Amino acid sequence: MKTVIEARDERTQPARLVPGYPQTPLRNPREPLVSRQPTLSELTGPLEVARRVKLLGGDIAGHGEKQAIGQLIHLRVRVLDEDGAPVGGTVVEMWQANAAGRYIHPNDDDHAPPDPNFYGAARLVTDGNGLFELRTVKPGAYPVPTRDGWWRPPHVHYSLFGKVWLSRLVTQMYFPSEPLNAQDRILNAVPDAAARERLVARLIAPTGDPHNALVFEHQIVLRGRTATPEQS
Amino acid sequence: MKRTALVPTGEATIGPFFPPRYVDAGANDLTLFEGRKAKGEAIEIRGRVVQEDGAALENLVLEIWQADARGIFRHPADPRSAQADAAFLGWGRAVTDTQGSYIFRTIRPGAPQGRAPHVNFMVMYSGLMRILKTTMFFSRDPDPVLAAVPLPRQELLVAKLEKPGIYRFDIRLRGDNETPFFDD
Repeated sequence: MKTVIEARDERTQPARLVPGYPQTPLRNPREPLVSRQPTLSELTGPLEVARRVKLLGGDIAGHGEKQAIGQLIHLRVRVLDEDGAPVGGTVVEMWQANAAGRYIHPNDDDHAPPDPNFYGAARLVTDGNGLFELRTVKPGAYPVPTRDGWWRPPHVHYSLFGKVWLSRLVTQMYFPSEPLNAQDRILNAVPDAAARERLVARLIAPTGDPHNALVFEHQIVLRGRTATPEQS
Repeated sequence: MKRTALVPTGEATIGPFFPPRYVDAGANDLTLFEGRKAKGEAIEIRGRVVQEDGAALENLVLEIWQADARGIFRHPADPRSAQADAAFLGWGRAVTDTQGSYIFRTIRPGAPQGRAPHVNFMVMYSGLMRILKTTMFFSRDPDPVLAAVPLPRQELLVAKLEKPGIYRFDIRLRGDNETPFFDD
């Protein structure tokens, strides 16, 4: 099956240069980006990444004495293409800060405490319905070392592959009703309000299930749709 | 009938905290796949990634995608995919060291139909709100993607042969002689 990739609506994608995000003007091209007609090379891509990388389970909150500290949450994320068709069998990488807003990473020298029971990363494969599920703790907010009062709101990072090279996506998911969402420079780099809203997960009304975890649902749309007979 | 189209999710930066565990040992070596050796000429692609002021960028994530030694992509959209080298995945990931340097070990790709031999690159990093995409070539042989780049900048996409089997492809994100990137 052939995949068609079309130009995206720029308002639904983040600006490359973000005011108050000092790395952006040093690292984004000054020259205009070059337009090209996608060829087979860009309209194919790695479908078997799961055979090359090590998967890490979808329960990263731990259990018993090894349980991470924080609000237990359950994430239910569906991955679709632009036709709304599920993207099954694709690798998803997620990572996040712990409940105190600290990453297990040599780059994070924040003063928030690490949690010995929380690494904060899962690598999964979507099922036939394009679904993946995760048990984790809600990430904390943290200050960005720009020293001017920018704090990242709680968020989860995702990296996805999809069916072709141009469907590769790195994105972030936010939580509803977080006061820091409105001033976050990364979330607000997306000009279109509806597109920003789609980056925010939805809290599912608790049902009384004794899971002890709040359930959030989210949808990720990867670029690409299936070619019509005339296009293939 | 018009399809109901969903809008692709907004991109965001990979940030400074991409888990080191996600750069699996050997993920930058495409010559070996599940213990089998890919067919073709094994080569190395080495380079350094810098930002506008020339500073080397550490912990930057690079991914590549390419055809096998005969120019076949391991993907059903390639009409020749049934003949693709079973020992070659075509995908790899590397991360830059403190000097901003990376290495891929791979197979010199053959020419896919209508294209010159090439390797697709993606750059993901803190400060990049979107993935930057570029393509490395081995020569100035005619190619529609290379031809889309303004003539004076085409040379920047051609890797330099350092020694037999070793190609250098430096990436400058911004500044004089910055690497051409594509708008897709």
